[in-house]
Amino acid sequence: MNNQPSAKKFLGWFNPLGRNPGSWAFILSRITALGLTFYLFLHLIVLGRLTQGPEAYEEFLALTENPLVKIGELAVVGAVIYHGLNGLRIVFTSFGIGVTRQVQLFYASVILAILGTLVFAIRMFAG
Amino acid sequence: MSEKWTITLRAYRQKEGEATRYDDFTLNVEPDEYVLDAVERVWAFHDRSLCFRHACHHSTCGACGMRVNGVEKLTCITLIRDVTQNGATLKVEPLRNFPVVSDLAVDMGAFYRKMETVGARAVLPVIEAEIEHPATSWDATNAQYTRLSDCLECGLCISACPVAATTPEYLGPAPLAAAQDRGMRRSPELLNIVDSEDGLWRCHSAFECTAVCPSFVDPGRRIMDLRKQVIGVKLSRIFGK
Amino acid sequence: MTTPSTFQPVSGPRPGETAWLWLVKIVTGPLLVPILCLHLIVNHYLGSTSSGLMTYDDVIAYFQNPLIPAIEILFVTTVVIHSLVGFRGIVLDMNPSRPVLGAVTALLVALGATAIGYGIWLALTLVALGA
Repeated sequence: MNNQPSAKKFLGWFNPLGRNPGSWAFILSRITALGLTFYLFLHLIVLGRLTQGPEAYEEFLALTENPLVKIGELAVVGAVIYHGLNGLRIVFTSFGIGVTRQVQLFYASVILAILGTLVFAIRMFAG
Repeated sequence: MSEKWTITLRAYRQKEGEATRYDDFTLNVEPDEYVLDAVERVWAFHDRSLCFRHACHHSTCGACGMRVNGVEKLTCITLIRDVTQNGATLKVEPLRNFPVVSDLAVDMGAFYRKMETVGARAVLPVIEAEIEHPATSWDATNAQYTRLSDCLECGLCISACPVAATTPEYLGPAPLAAAQDRGMRRSPELLNIVDSEDGLWRCHSAFECTAVCPSFVDPGRRIMDLRKQVIGVKLSRIFGK
Repeated sequence: MTTPSTFQPVSGPRPGETAWLWLVKIVTGPLLVPILCLHLIVNHYLGSTSSGLMTYDDVIAYFQNPLIPAIEILFVTTVVIHSLVGFRGIVLDMNPSRPVLGAVTALLVALGATAIGYGIWLALTLVALGA
């Protein structure tokens, strides 16, 4: 067992086993952060099609009718809601508010993210 | 007659120049004994070469911190009943993020030095102590009274911290909590130490330190409070107050 | 022990890595929450396609309200800064050497400036297309 701190151990952050809810919150936050950053730049590039006129954009929109793309979009929605709410949890606790309730705040963030995603799922698939 | 359990104590072994391994010892224990009792029994009756740290047996010295089934525990106050069951295995390993000296004993030198760096107080005036439910309300007339600091300097928080795993330079939960205890307004010389790349902004609010702390120091909360203190001091410097 | 320690800090404070970048992330974060709520609801829920997205005409009409390009420009600026400061935080946690961290920072600043510039151009173009 290499017991020394090492930069290589940063991958260990993503292992939730034997960890507490605070770590799960951090792991989810970091994964959603990386996903959303990737999505943000993809989103910006794709929106460039708007400047090429209606056909170029509607051609792209047609892709979003694919169920797989819809599921991807739902993943983004869930990630946004979770990352935002957990971010507020971090902001509040960083200023001493709700620190003793941080676990409950994490669970609340997850539940609200799931509910929010369901609302969007209903709109996307049944709307 | 007291309850008897048979457990397998699986101890991490590492001697200088040798490969690491786990040794299994079958022990008869009472479930209301402590994990440290089981470790001592291995040393007393099975293998005198097992190396581990301990002293006080009552959660004051902070020497017997280990990982018990993967989770940081102060073994002198961890009941065997709470961490395993009859016939099962109890795995003990050294704390993470410290160099292993031998078997379960780790080198805490760098950690103690960090505690020195922030001037951690072993004893503090009661009027400066954060006591959740004080028996009485303290005022200036009580200034002569002191109490022991809650922190045992056991290092469990350093072992559990995901950030401390990645860099030996990170100050870590206990030293940051000690800095919070000293206070940025009372000890402004600490500002540059905690407000640095290896200081309190590295914390990712995983609160693992608070989860494993055996002495209710609540380092996670204290790091958050320290952030508030540091931002307060920096803003008041900008606005010249 | 209340006297200041005679020990040197374990690691000297490194300039440039103090509270301020953290504060940028913590201030832009909450600002993004209401903007993102609006963005998700309007652009991904209320749009007139069957799945709630906006059509080309929806987008152009939406951008004719002068408040919208202002909000979207604020959005793109904040979200790019927040995401790239956050990304740099992840890089920082991998303990890069000073030159590597410097190079990464320069790269992210360039990327961020480009993305924000592009976002502003995009918003203004959408306004102009509807004029």
